[in-house]
Amino acid sequence: MEYKAPVESYSGVVREVVIGTGGKSLKIGGENILPFHFFDQGSNPNPPKYALEVVDMKPDDLPEHAVEPFRDVISDPVKWAKKCETFGVDAVSLFLMSTDPAVRDGSADAAARLVKEVAEAINVPLIVYGSGDEKKDVEVLSKVAETCRGMNLLVGPVVKENYETVGRAILDNGHAAIAQTPLDINLLKELNVKLSKFFPPERIVIDPLSSALGYGMEYSFSLIERVKQIGIMTRDSMTMMPIIANLGGECWKTKQAKESKKQGLLWEGITALSLLLAGANIVVLRHPETLGLIRETLEAR
Amino acid sequence: MVIIGENIHVIAKTVSTAIRERNAKVIQELAQAQAKAGADYIDLNVGPMKKDPEETMQWLVNTVQEVVDLPLSIDTMNPVAMEAGLKACKKRPLLNSASGKTESKELMLPLAKKYNCDVVISVMTDKGMPPDVDSKVESILDTVAYANELGIPNEDIWVDPIVLPVSTAGEGQRFAVACLEFIRILQDVLPGVKSTVGLSNVSNGVPTELRPLLNRTYLIMLQRHGLYSAIADPLDEELMKLVRGEMPKIVDLIGKVMDKEEVDLSRLTPQEVNYVKTAKVLLGETLYSDAWLET
Repeated sequence: MEYKAPVESYSGVVREVVIGTGGKSLKIGGENILPFHFFDQGSNPNPPKYALEVVDMKPDDLPEHAVEPFRDVISDPVKWAKKCETFGVDAVSLFLMSTDPAVRDGSADAAARLVKEVAEAINVPLIVYGSGDEKKDVEVLSKVAETCRGMNLLVGPVVKENYETVGRAILDNGHAAIAQTPLDINLLKELNVKLSKFFPPERIVIDPLSSALGYGMEYSFSLIERVKQIGIMTRDSMTMMPIIANLGGECWKTKQAKESKKQGLLWEGITALSLLLAGANIVVLRHPETLGLIRETLEAR
Repeated sequence: MVIIGENIHVIAKTVSTAIRERNAKVIQELAQAQAKAGADYIDLNVGPMKKDPEETMQWLVNTVQEVVDLPLSIDTMNPVAMEAGLKACKKRPLLNSASGKTESKELMLPLAKKYNCDVVISVMTDKGMPPDVDSKVESILDTVAYANELGIPNEDIWVDPIVLPVSTAGEGQRFAVACLEFIRILQDVLPGVKSTVGLSNVSNGVPTELRPLLNRTYLIMLQRHGLYSAIADPLDEELMKLVRGEMPKIVDLIGKVMDKEEVDLSRLTPQEVNYVKTAKVLLGETLYSDAWLET
């Protein structure tokens, strides 16, 4: 008898989130199939997207070989962002590290001005990450949202502690939100439920926290995988949002990535590939050569 | 359904203080309230009881027996306290609990035989908590066989599959489903045994005001699968009504959810909707979050 491979079909559809406006907009998510299940029924209209990360101050803990591609622009986030574009990114992610009270406690006004300048300078959508200090982010992200009104940035992290104020500012000024929870699927769903009470779910991107290879990546992997399965297979409305894996910073913090360039690229590359296989819809990387490596791996299939 | 009243429990500060200070009134009031609410047993959970185990347990048992007629469930990990408690009981007590751990087999199970009492045997072993149905079955078969050899018949054994918090990220819902399934097949595996669960643990870690709903729904689900008894809060009036058949509509509704029948939420009262949503969480059909009633 002829063997017929079983073909699965699924009932859930990940919401398609659009970021950016006009000619420089980007669609994330929208799939009704598990990641890389080419053999099943369904499709992913928006295959994985790639962003490179820009930091709003020269990060002092980056090894030489990670700084190298951006050495000439590392102190100028606008130029740094423009240089990212030359590597063919789908989006740029700007990390407002300097606003962290434990780093430089930079002002919300200055941060918002910079975000606007970067967003206007580039021809791809901009993702903005606050420092992660849940109190300071209220001030910073609200100001960013206001200053960049109507630009449809992807702004986060929106967390349990500040989702009401930050979410409101993001919504009122026409942006999309990154909902972030600490590696826990129940908390992830809870935040989406609460946020969705006033925030349209089709403008939410999930950030489950991405850990680097060897530093808890398997937790991120399992969680992303589970979120995808529950969304795609059981149609849980509150997990049917696209997922962002913001992993570049985490990878380049590791001892292994700092030791050598080759090791660093592989560390970032394997982490990114793994999380894409689990179901991430967009990955944020630091090194342009990692981006090349992943594209080559995935697109040469 | 036999309800073992859980409220005399050392984790409650009032109880531990009352025991330490030998304040009979506090304990007796708790016992009477539970008896009045319809409890069938009164659980005396004293924990490991490091200090004066014998004297303390005797005092506690006698204090409770002065005011209520119900049989007692002696709930301690300390075998010395256990023996003192069993010895002091006027009615046939429940030894709560033994397990498949070597220490428990050697020290607790022989007490059940010696005092000819009922005994709770959990699925726990030296290897820990068996997480799924198969491993729970395997471990309980071993331990019950051991108990039978000691001369304890199945009819005296109350099997406890160990209920864990449903809110535990990633696996809590799987555990909840596993216990349901275990209770469903228990009579086929070990004919004649009874069963019990520490019910409230299912809602551990959940916001306080939402806990009773999880406890009640889960108890009804377990009852439908043949659960014989539960260590639970008899002061939860709705729980007692449900389990005594005084709220048949809700019980039917939970049954429908368990049978995967379509339930039209728009035709239900808010209370009924909450029970349906909760049952679906406990069946692992919708992903748990603290906001499970809000979607």
